[in-house]
Amino acid sequence: MKYTILWKPILKLVLREFFIAILLLLGVSVLIFSILNLAPGDPLHIFINIQTQNPEEIAAIKRELGLDRSIAVQYLSWLNNLIHGNFGNSFRTGRPVFSELIKVGVNTLILTIGSLIVTLLIAIPIAVISSLRRCPFLSWGLTLFAYILSALPVFWLGYIAIYIFTKKFNLFPFLSAGAASGFRINWIYFLLPIIVLGIGNGSISEIIRHMRAQLERVLSEDYIKAAKAKGASIWRHSFKEGILIPVTAMIAAKIPFILGGAVVVEQVFNWPGMGRLAWQAALDRDYPVIMGITIFAAVVVHLGRLSQTIVFAFVNPQTSEKGEPA
Amino acid sequence: MRTRYIQRGAEVSEFSQIPIWRRMNKKDLIQIGFGLFVVFFVLSSYITAVLHLLPYDPLKINLKEMMQSPDYKHILGTDFMGRDILSRIIVGSQAYFMPGLLSIIIALFFGIMAGLVSGYNGGMTDSIISYILDIIDSIPKMVIILLAIAFFRPGIYFIMLIVGITNIPAVASLIKSKVIFLKKRNFIEAGKALGLKSRDIIFKHILWYNCKAIVIIQATLGMAEVILIETSLSYLGFGVQEPEPSWGNMVAAGKDYFFMGDFYLSTAPAIAILVSILGFYLLGDGLNNALEWRRKR
Amino acid sequence: MAEEILKVEDLRTYFYSHAKEAFIRSVDGVSFSIRKGEVLGIVGESGCGKSITAQSILSLITDGPGIISGSILLTHNGKTVNLLEGLPDYVSVKTKRKAILEITKDVTGWLKRSEILMKGIRGKVISMIFQNPKSALNPFITVGDQIAESIMLHSSISAKKEAIDAAAKWLERVQIDSPAMRLYDYPFGLSGGMCQRVMIAMALSSEPALLIADEPTTGLDVTIQTKIIELLKQLKEELNLTILLITHDMSVIMQLADRIAVMYGGRIVEYGLKREIMDSSSFIRHPYTIALLNSQPTVEEIKMKERLRAIKGDVPDTITLYRGCRFYERCDLKNDRVKKKCKEAEPEMIEIGVGHYMRCWLAEG
Repeated sequence: MKYTILWKPILKLVLREFFIAILLLLGVSVLIFSILNLAPGDPLHIFINIQTQNPEEIAAIKRELGLDRSIAVQYLSWLNNLIHGNFGNSFRTGRPVFSELIKVGVNTLILTIGSLIVTLLIAIPIAVISSLRRCPFLSWGLTLFAYILSALPVFWLGYIAIYIFTKKFNLFPFLSAGAASGFRINWIYFLLPIIVLGIGNGSISEIIRHMRAQLERVLSEDYIKAAKAKGASIWRHSFKEGILIPVTAMIAAKIPFILGGAVVVEQVFNWPGMGRLAWQAALDRDYPVIMGITIFAAVVVHLGRLSQTIVFAFVNPQTSEKGEPA
Repeated sequence: MRTRYIQRGAEVSEFSQIPIWRRMNKKDLIQIGFGLFVVFFVLSSYITAVLHLLPYDPLKINLKEMMQSPDYKHILGTDFMGRDILSRIIVGSQAYFMPGLLSIIIALFFGIMAGLVSGYNGGMTDSIISYILDIIDSIPKMVIILLAIAFFRPGIYFIMLIVGITNIPAVASLIKSKVIFLKKRNFIEAGKALGLKSRDIIFKHILWYNCKAIVIIQATLGMAEVILIETSLSYLGFGVQEPEPSWGNMVAAGKDYFFMGDFYLSTAPAIAILVSILGFYLLGDGLNNALEWRRKR
Repeated sequence: MAEEILKVEDLRTYFYSHAKEAFIRSVDGVSFSIRKGEVLGIVGESGCGKSITAQSILSLITDGPGIISGSILLTHNGKTVNLLEGLPDYVSVKTKRKAILEITKDVTGWLKRSEILMKGIRGKVISMIFQNPKSALNPFITVGDQIAESIMLHSSISAKKEAIDAAAKWLERVQIDSPAMRLYDYPFGLSGGMCQRVMIAMALSSEPALLIADEPTTGLDVTIQTKIIELLKQLKEELNLTILLITHDMSVIMQLADRIAVMYGGRIVEYGLKREIMDSSSFIRHPYTIALLNSQPTVEEIKMKERLRAIKGDVPDTITLYRGCRFYERCDLKNDRVKKKCKEAEPEMIEIGVGHYMRCWLAEG
């Protein structure tokens, strides 16, 4: 079936969002950079304690790290490097921030996206079932169940999970993503934190509530009634507006939240993710690493929003010539 | 004479004049009741502490009575230092409640202001405010909090201040979309045409009549979130420190005893967290349903 | 005599309102029948229950709880089916001292049952077109796709391509320009009139035995209204359609209908052939019908800027039970002879001519 997919307006819309995202990321970097420089504490302290307080040596270190320049110049040079793909080098280790970030960043991303999928797998069926109103008891029970899940503290849940798996499967209690020996053990190590975060991040009830509201609103629309009157399947007709769009909206909205929860879960499961890197870097006042991490997190958030815009543009035929969503 | 079949009930207008308690169905009542119960519990913890009504001193160490199971003397048992768990749990709610109120007040106050100005004025002001708030929105909360903790070594109130700030964009965006909705439906124009003062329009009509539900939900959700954050931070060791009790650090302290078979050390505070968060969620949900009743028949 | 396609007997649709703790009696005992090839027009003010009647026939009522009772007999291909068979069994009524307190629906049972009853009927034997055609079409799916969906559901065509071609033919039939291109348009790009034509195409593509038109012209501009009515007239001739036409616009009824049912307060108050009802020299007609017809200003009256003859009073609320006639307060024709009776007792349907019924005490004597 030939669809009139209006490529031009969709492209315009996506580009527009993209540029806004870039502007926002710039804003984020400025904000963080300012806070870093205004905050108490000094990157030099990791060196000064070790070395003497010889003013010449201090000046030399400063020059080496580029801290003798004015703040504005520091920022601009950082920005300049960034445009060329260089995230700078960590103050502490001297290694490129990018390589360190990628290693742990990917782990955190896996955790975040995986648990997002788990959350949706639980939330969507519950939302659909409770909006059908077939058995009010069932939907009320399911919603209550979801609320309880949302209220569970994730760190406790994680520990219970570890405990159960240790007792039942006799596994080594402290897990890390790269744990060796055996395919089966690997999978469980891998999946457990994802499932725990998927269940325990507090957003399930909000997702269900939102999806249910949208689905019920769509199901009461005129065109659904007309579709029913002609004997068509209401699910086919309500899918786009009732499920697809709310789901992508929820994904985009909840990514920052789940990213945050990931930090806690990483601690419980010893998952080598960004959380630990961020903490260490913050203590060290390792400016390049901190900037790298916050930009990374912000980029992930904006990627989520961008994909929401793209899905929205494709689904909604009213994406007009000017590239505005209707 | 016509016979009236049903005597009760009044005309249902857009703003229903049927009293609230008539409109709610059983489910909402239960939810609100549960929520209020939780709030009452939290408030009572302050009162009991002040009036020295606690069963035991939560800080008092009694090595002779370590790790006891729940019995008539200690309703929830004692922990590894012999302290009464129930008292510690009661006091634990103080760790988050006041700071949480600060966070909620900040988020609501600035969020409503920003949302109103953004929505009412539109144009350049809107763009600027949205830009700034979007920047805050782009960074995950936990990342900001961790960085703040590492940098400033702050107390719980400062942390909650930051949490409040990070919640401003959400509130602002909800209020703004409500204002735009009202604008589109010409409510505001109609108000102006009727000669209402701007101040009246904003406060009475927009906020009170229309935004009540948003504010209530954000407040309750905000408190639930605060509980989660405070307990997570205490668990990680950043919030309330020993020997002061916080549900988070109680769970952390108790987790090592899991493998020895002692669950309740960790589980009791975890259940307290569960019930409290649940209570606030249900409260917000129930109030929302009760207030939004006029939409349905 | 042409066979009866649809026979509705004592249809009642009540909604239970929790807030008011009472029933909203939208349709309060409606009976009529439609013969093959004729157009029955149901006319009345807003809120008198016309749309609900139509939706009850196709079981499209989703606001619950409530009850639909009565019988709707559909005769098609020699078989007669009651579309409400068994539905009241899935409802439990709580009574207290002879007053009905609450009606609870066994929703699962009800839905299942009505789906079983409606299978093969919706869209195929009975089709419906709606008010506000723009919002009745799915905004996310192309127009051609939606018509093709109907075709694939109800005819033997199962290939998408064939269905699209058939859809194009139907678009031509409803007088849409360049149908091949319109196929790929989305509803938001089409005008109200075109959307209504699309709906008509969709509804008629399965060649149904009965077409229900629920206020088909109400949301449209007046000039477009005329065109749509012309189209319906034409299609009716071409396809020998049977139409149940619901509207509050008397002029539409006058152009299309063969028989008319006038509804007020959830009941039919007059029922008969159009020419008898419309004829102003007719011996007797229901006061409401007369008032309705009179409320339409003639050209001279408009020129002379005469006052509009509105019917005084308000639409009755469908909750309070009346002891006497519902139209009592607003009736201009009550005289001393019948006044007392009008107040006390609700009039029955009295036959005043062949096939012409009226619910008014004035018919007596």
